[in-house]
Amino acid sequence: MTRIRPTFRRLVASTAAAGMLVLAACSTPTSPDSPAGGATLVVATSDEPDALNPVLNFGVDGAALIFDGLVARDSDNRLVPALATALPTVSPDGRTVTATLRDGVQFHDGATLSAADVAFTYQAVLDPKVDSTLRSDLDMVESVTAPDATTVVFRLRYPYAPFLQRLTLGIVPSKLLSGQDINTTGFNRKPIGTGPYKVESWTPGDRLVLTANERYFGGRPANNRVVVAFVADDNVRAQRMRAGEFDAAELPPKLASGFDSDTAYRVQRVPTADYRGVMLPMGNPVLADPAVRRALNLAVDRAAMVSGILGGAGEPAFGPVPPTSEFADPSTVGTPTADATAASALLDAAGWKPGSGGVRAKDGRPARFTLMYPATDTLRKDLALAVTADAKKIGIEVTPAGLTWDAIDPRMKSDALLMGYGTPYDPDFVSYKLFSSQFAGQGYFNPGSYRSEVTDRALQEGRDQIDPALRKAAYAQFQKQLATDVPWLFLTYLRHTYVLKSSVQGTAPRVEAHEHGVANSIWWNINTWTRS
Amino acid sequence: MTRSGRLAGAGAVVRRRLLVAVPVLAATSIGMFALGAASPVDPAKQYAGAAAFTASEENLAQIRANWGVDDPLPVQYLRWIGNLVQGDLGWSTSRHEPVASVLSARAGWTLLLIGVALALALVGSLLLGSLAAYRRGGLFDRALRTAAYAVQSMPVFWLGLAAIAVFALALGWFPAGGLTDVTATSTSWADVAHHLILPVGVLAVSQAPWFVLFVRDAVAESMRDDHVLAARARGLPGRTVLFGHALRTALLPFLTLVGTHLPELVGGAVLVETVFSLPGLGAVTVAAALGSDFPLLAAITLVTTAVVLAANLTTDLAYAAADPRVRLDG
Amino acid sequence: MADLATRPPLLHLARSRLRLRPGQTGVVIAGLVLLVAVVGSLLAPLVWPLDQSAVALDQTRLAPSWTHLAGTDDLGRDVAHRAVYGLRVSLLVGAVAALVATVLGGVVGGIAGMLGGRVDRLLMRMVDTIAAMPHLLLGIFIVAMLRPSLGAVIASVGLTHWLSTARIVRSELLSLRTRPFVDAAISGGAGRFRVLTRHLLPHVLPRLALATTLMIPHAVWHETALSFLGLGLPPHLASLGNMINDGQGSLLTGAWWASLAPGAVIVVVTLAIAVLAARWRDRLDPRVRAELHL
Repeated sequence: MTRIRPTFRRLVASTAAAGMLVLAACSTPTSPDSPAGGATLVVATSDEPDALNPVLNFGVDGAALIFDGLVARDSDNRLVPALATALPTVSPDGRTVTATLRDGVQFHDGATLSAADVAFTYQAVLDPKVDSTLRSDLDMVESVTAPDATTVVFRLRYPYAPFLQRLTLGIVPSKLLSGQDINTTGFNRKPIGTGPYKVESWTPGDRLVLTANERYFGGRPANNRVVVAFVADDNVRAQRMRAGEFDAAELPPKLASGFDSDTAYRVQRVPTADYRGVMLPMGNPVLADPAVRRALNLAVDRAAMVSGILGGAGEPAFGPVPPTSEFADPSTVGTPTADATAASALLDAAGWKPGSGGVRAKDGRPARFTLMYPATDTLRKDLALAVTADAKKIGIEVTPAGLTWDAIDPRMKSDALLMGYGTPYDPDFVSYKLFSSQFAGQGYFNPGSYRSEVTDRALQEGRDQIDPALRKAAYAQFQKQLATDVPWLFLTYLRHTYVLKSSVQGTAPRVEAHEHGVANSIWWNINTWTRS
Repeated sequence: MTRSGRLAGAGAVVRRRLLVAVPVLAATSIGMFALGAASPVDPAKQYAGAAAFTASEENLAQIRANWGVDDPLPVQYLRWIGNLVQGDLGWSTSRHEPVASVLSARAGWTLLLIGVALALALVGSLLLGSLAAYRRGGLFDRALRTAAYAVQSMPVFWLGLAAIAVFALALGWFPAGGLTDVTATSTSWADVAHHLILPVGVLAVSQAPWFVLFVRDAVAESMRDDHVLAARARGLPGRTVLFGHALRTALLPFLTLVGTHLPELVGGAVLVETVFSLPGLGAVTVAAALGSDFPLLAAITLVTTAVVLAANLTTDLAYAAADPRVRLDG
Repeated sequence: MADLATRPPLLHLARSRLRLRPGQTGVVIAGLVLLVAVVGSLLAPLVWPLDQSAVALDQTRLAPSWTHLAGTDDLGRDVAHRAVYGLRVSLLVGAVAALVATVLGGVVGGIAGMLGGRVDRLLMRMVDTIAAMPHLLLGIFIVAMLRPSLGAVIASVGLTHWLSTARIVRSELLSLRTRPFVDAAISGGAGRFRVLTRHLLPHVLPRLALATTLMIPHAVWHETALSFLGLGLPPHLASLGNMINDGQGSLLTGAWWASLAPGAVIVVVTLAIAVLAARWRDRLDPRVRAELHL
């Protein structure tokens, strides 16, 4: 039996071929029955929503195809009216926001949209009995009322400059949901909205099938059907894209690059506000020294990370405000390549002297720390290893640790962590909670307990001031202070990479947020896509 | 023993087996529950998913309170058992729907996958194993055994990826995954069959070595039985001797052992489902494990165990009914 | 069967090597492969140390060459180098898990086989019921609860693979108890413990050793399967499962070598163990063979 030396490849081919012969008899080719008069578009993504209900965090930042918010965002991420006739008005004291609804908008079941539905949606998010994770985003809302059928009035506890950005939340019909337990209602699986597509079926773990809403107020969609296929594994998704099953799919940059040379496909690398960086906790005795943090900031080779790890699909990051944002401060942008000499000089000057085994030490304390990353995230693993290698070059020893979130949580106060966040909509979002001292040590908000009065004041100013010029000045101040203090080692902004069939026309990529999925990816405007 | 006497014996066997199985299953469920509760995973954060990073602590605390996950452990367990007795399997926190509906939507596909793959592996291994045994040590026998060992040393998900690379990508004969064509409006059986050929084939091939080797040995052994030798001596054709006599003798003990191999098949199905993105129980099991979704995990484990036990019992009873010499020890 | 039981496996192997027949070259090759694998992975840290977290972003995905025998992966790491350490981890997981399973199975099977009667029936019914639980599911559960780590992987393999050992030990003891020499020892006034250690253990040990050896490939598959499902070792550590998992994506983009070396190591090592075990299997009765998934 040793005379036969099968190579792996031949073996796989032959065993599979044997199975084939047995099965060939039962194979029947099928042709998908596509409805006449319009195409069916198929998109594939990894993240399957848990519930198709905006109240439970579905399609919060985008209309999500099935629903509409009072406002929506255009291809430049500018707010435009959607269910509201115009952008809602804000009272001079900044605490009353009034929206007027469009007339004659119908839900998929034919019921007419009224202001009561809008009030109900927001009240449901604020209801403590509803397991909504959005509640903390709407902390500033004191009440939502519907004085008449077309007017909605939001009363705020305090003025909040970017409040209109929170009004993209999809509106659900109150008639179908009032009196129900929103956490478990069947609506979450087969929802009724006002959006361009109706839900035909949802097979969890497999696909979501949407059909055109003929009565859509924005005009009938160009496509009869949209299928969202849920394929969690990147490689499987790439293989099925290659097999021609999808019109568009999100793929990791490296897998997407495999489609670059093929004219039947088009690879789109969409700029984002989605950054990755290392949170440096102030509770760590080594990282508490600003010299170490600044040296690390100089030592990381962001250019190598972009080309080597992201396959070119990204930009170096130097702060939490993306370069595409009007609030970005160009003066905080550093050099993308590493400057180990300058970093070493900084450490030398701060008293971190080269010690045994190439590890620096100061007052007997070696320059060592642990860098945690979530074990299931390949990209963060790769970045953590790159940081480790760069740190080693300047005599700082980093120990990477791939852990689950529950193991990470209790250690965030003292161990560095590779994190990712970012939204393009307003610099207040996320950053306010990540960097202001009032959130120090609270869960994933500012877990490293970074405290700076300058930063606190700038963030508060940015939130309180309505005047865009004042806000811009405040956020410039904020970015400068972060660049000085280095509470985070910002590494890269990603580009989300999508592979599309060349025949698909009408894409209008817009700067994407960290969280994107069914609702908020390149197919946000799929209702206008066509096939040539 | 009369036929009715034997059947009465079967009743006693069923009773005795239940007497052991029920406490063991109950103990397992308690063990799983305790482990689940002792695990440091926060179900509220798992529920929130990505939103956990932007939701406040009070927000998450409120969700925990809504679920009663802060109640003492025995209270939670009794609540769960009480509901179970009333036929309510509980609420899946990772899938956001009742456990019963998760199972009913997905278990069928897993059963179909396992069932067809098992049938295929059985037929194939009986055929190939017998042929190998007929000329023991011959070229075919050696080739088959080498192939069996080689396939046995390959992880099943690897076979799956290779099959996709060859048959879906290079040759384009079969779809690379999914249950029906992504654009299909309804579930047509022809479409499902077309999609299941690769996963079923891969699962069958990956499980076949064990069956093939067993059949080959059992048949080879029975070839030396008196009545088989006698049949040969009578000059009956080789095919008749092999399939009519030798295989028949080897068949019954083989079938009872099939039951013991079922759990292995379930494990293989989990991996195959993941590779071919089939909406069966495999993917939800992994998600449930990572999300410490105890109700779903417990239900899946207990249900599969119960199914396997029932299958074992059925094969044993069938064996006893077919062969009066067999005594059932309970 | 009897002569296997009285002959330690290593001696048996040595003897078969002395009088080589054509069919036995396979066994010798398999033995050598295993020897190289074990010695190599033991000596690796001394001869060829590896920095597990090192990357070289300027040398990613290089094809095999003289400097990188099996090429480099997505992060510019030498595939051959990491495969050696992957094998080390796999063998460690395999050996420790097999040991755990053997001890657990030996104790349960030993109690059942020595005491017999009602205790035996109860224990064996319990074993049957636990055996009916798909062990991958059980393994997933254990890893999920203990959190993915080396210890969790070992526990999930060890705690789910002791059943066959228990059955083998038990049936062996039961059949030995009826043998004349055991009767003679007992009637000669030997205590139960003495009978066990002096007369029964030497007979059971070779079978136990075989079961333990055969568990190693199982452990390797288990580790790779768990890694594939995202439940394995921390992903930056070199393990065969992690490497194959990382290599899958490279397969699609043309860097086939990233998964070739770890895959080949798995197939070669498990095949070698299977070939060695096949020498024994012909002498085993079918029930035990089925139990060992041979």
